[in-house]
Amino acid sequence: MSSRDHTELANPFDRSSVSRRWWLLGAIVTIGLLPLVFQDSYWRTNLIVCALNVMLAIGLDFILGYAGQLNLGHSAFYGIGAYVSTLVITKLGLPFWVAFLCGIVLAGAAGMALSMFAVRLRGHYLAIASLGFAVIVHQVLVNWISLTQGPLGIYGIKPPPEIALPGLPVISFGNSANMFYLVAGFALLFYVLLDQLVRSPIGETLTAIREDEVSASSLGINCPAWKVFAFGAGSAVAGAAGAFYASSVGTLVPDAFIITESFTILAMVIVGGMGTLIGPVWGAILLTVLPEVLRGFGDLRLVLYGAALTLVVLFMPGGIVQAAQIVRAQFDRLRARLEAG
Amino acid sequence: MSTVLLQQGINGVVLGSLYVLVALGLTLIYGVLVQINFAHADVVTIGAFAAYFFTFTFGGNYLASIAVALLVGAILGWLVNAAIFAPLRERGSELLPLIATIGVSVLLQNVMLLWFGPIPYAFDSPYSNQVIRLWGGTFITGQNLIIIVVSTLTIALLYAFMKFTFMGKALRAVAQDRETAGLMGINPNHLIMLTFVIASALAGMGGAMLGPILVLTPFAGTTVIVKAFAIVIIGGFGNVEGTIIAGLLVGLIESYTTQFVNPGLIDIVVFTLLLMMLAFRPTGLIAEKREENV
Amino acid sequence: MSDDISGRVAGQADGRRNSDKVLFRSKSLNKSFGGVHAVRDISLNIPHGGVFAIIGPNGAGKSTLLNLMSGLYQPDSGTMSLDGVDLVGLKAHRRVRLGLARTFQKIRLFKHLPVLDNVIAGFHIHHDIPAWQYVLQGTAFRRDYARCRHEARKLLSFVGLEERAKARAGSLAYGEQRMLELARALATSPRLLVVDEPAAGLNAAEVEKLLDRITQLRAGGMTVVIVEHNMDLVMKVADRVLVMDYGQYLFEGAPAEAQVDPGVVAAYLGA
Repeated sequence: MSSRDHTELANPFDRSSVSRRWWLLGAIVTIGLLPLVFQDSYWRTNLIVCALNVMLAIGLDFILGYAGQLNLGHSAFYGIGAYVSTLVITKLGLPFWVAFLCGIVLAGAAGMALSMFAVRLRGHYLAIASLGFAVIVHQVLVNWISLTQGPLGIYGIKPPPEIALPGLPVISFGNSANMFYLVAGFALLFYVLLDQLVRSPIGETLTAIREDEVSASSLGINCPAWKVFAFGAGSAVAGAAGAFYASSVGTLVPDAFIITESFTILAMVIVGGMGTLIGPVWGAILLTVLPEVLRGFGDLRLVLYGAALTLVVLFMPGGIVQAAQIVRAQFDRLRARLEAG
Repeated sequence: MSTVLLQQGINGVVLGSLYVLVALGLTLIYGVLVQINFAHADVVTIGAFAAYFFTFTFGGNYLASIAVALLVGAILGWLVNAAIFAPLRERGSELLPLIATIGVSVLLQNVMLLWFGPIPYAFDSPYSNQVIRLWGGTFITGQNLIIIVVSTLTIALLYAFMKFTFMGKALRAVAQDRETAGLMGINPNHLIMLTFVIASALAGMGGAMLGPILVLTPFAGTTVIVKAFAIVIIGGFGNVEGTIIAGLLVGLIESYTTQFVNPGLIDIVVFTLLLMMLAFRPTGLIAEKREENV
Repeated sequence: MSDDISGRVAGQADGRRNSDKVLFRSKSLNKSFGGVHAVRDISLNIPHGGVFAIIGPNGAGKSTLLNLMSGLYQPDSGTMSLDGVDLVGLKAHRRVRLGLARTFQKIRLFKHLPVLDNVIAGFHIHHDIPAWQYVLQGTAFRRDYARCRHEARKLLSFVGLEERAKARAGSLAYGEQRMLELARALATSPRLLVVDEPAAGLNAAEVEKLLDRITQLRAGGMTVVIVEHNMDLVMKVADRVLVMDYGQYLFEGAPAEAQVDPGVVAAYLGA
């Protein structure tokens, strides 16, 4: 029996919860410092996009990595969140945060509807169904011109309204630093929420469903209901990302939500490490930042995504997280050998 | 009015037979491997470009370029299987190979984008402008006639191959039960490779014939592939007859929707049909339901 | 220790027991697949407590009957009830909440998860804290979670696997995996435990160990149904048997009588 047969049990109440608090603190500090390091608008926009991608990736990982649902249509929920929240403001005149909630709720509802629809379908069928759903959503956005202005797009979307608390300076979200804090703050919040779920019996239930549905049912787990829940949660987070996307970028066109976008989010999840939640965070950061750094070589962004996705699946299916584990194992072995003398 | 109906019917059959060529490849692969190959779309595109360059850069015969595209497709199929599906088969994951092919597809499309650029290539075959008058006031272009003839011949040949030759039967055996087929002395891996080669050859050929009809960009294949998926599901994964019927059906639907409704709605119509199929008859038009063995 | 386990597990059901001595009842169950009539007109009564065996040659329809009982298949016709509650149309996962648990002939563990986590998976239907607690994870959550782990370890020691708690389930030997499946099914606190071909793939010593555990469960008051094709094995532990062949009823009654029933003998020897 080799040492690889022993795995660390998921126990949220030991030392690791303390180290999690340190990581959380580190994340907050990093988020706080980033806009101070990157002062130009180009990089600040990238930071915001990065935070949006993190939100999208963790939402998809919850659906794919934990509940085991191959969702190829995540871009649809992103788009629904963006358009619903924007249209609620422009056509119904409701305030931003109400619209934000509408975006989340409708995106989540769409996810649940798709999941309920596909609940009896095996993996591949669900993949195609979700793809078909995303195509339909995109086509509706393009063709329902009276509502969405079609390919021309919606312009002049305003950022969230200022927050004026007594005694504090007014926080305006036209300022890209503040916008980043808002988006990244929510990304962190969603991460913590999903992480808590994952470390609870809910996460264990989803894992059981992912591993073997028949087995899980024989233990009393209502698989269809949980799959719908996971889909709803993941797509709701995507909806939130959509609402922030619209209000931070200012313009909205349907082509921002073509199915290729689903594939790039998928790439972030897989490259980061499917089913680890933290992996997709790294995957999103890496795949958002790297193409910008390599800008000199032309628009290689999608080539990079395609190559990364393929190579990771073939050679390191656990993604960055797996790579990190291997590196750490090597270090441990090295250290053990040094200590043994 | 009936002329228009008939004309669109003919166009629908032309489109349909092309879709069938592409979808057949997908369904064959699924039948034998229970895997979806997303990169199939790009074999179509590459086939189209191969035909284009053979015709215009090398000055070759257009009809010969169809054969060239077939070869190129076959080679690509061999590569994809050898590089992706064969190595991943050991791991036993249902979803990883699919995801890998998504990666390959994105990679191929964007490499082509870098090489060929986003501007559509004007791929006019020498037959595109020939018009042949048919009965009832309808007409058919030379290109479309070639498409129908070549597709029908190919599909018929394939059908005969599957039903009557030993190889074909062996293929179906492997599709039904890989282990038992292995015990009968058939090497499943060779047959899977053969399936890939045939499927991709069909796709390449389809691309060569689609080139003059479609907008030839690196993304030409994707416009077809998503419909091909719909066809495969409607016809039933792994079901050859179903795919043929479904392909023609989708071609006709597209043709009539373009004519009588808004062309922008084609995708919505086809995919809503797809989702309906998935809801009510996920195993396709003809196939039978198999209950899971516990 | 084992009395404690099975008593605790079965005893939880005491409050739900009614005075009727039959726990599971079926009438004229039928199930066909295509042309194969796998279960024909099967009626059976499984009494409270004791070990009830469903036996018959391979292909007799035993697994189909079991799948009908557990809810994996729905019958074409006929009725079934557990303690008076109608089961037909009830989804598989709901039957578990009523107290019906099962194991699988082809082992279906969560192979990539640790052994302990496999057992814990069986406790999920018995959490008694509200859902929002999973997010906040306060004291009630911690207590509930610790309790589950404690119970899971007790079940693991019942089947003799407590040392392997941290190992990956897939790394266990076949016999150990079977015992893990048993522990996992017990985690759902069943009143009726259905075990599918438990001896398949086990050597003699492992079979003895398994039968011993089943005997202990019975001593604690649990009702156990064993589906098997090995007659001798079943004779050692069963209180009552149902013999099937070709999907049909051949005999129901005491094991000793089954052994000498002419129809049963013909089926096993003539086949």
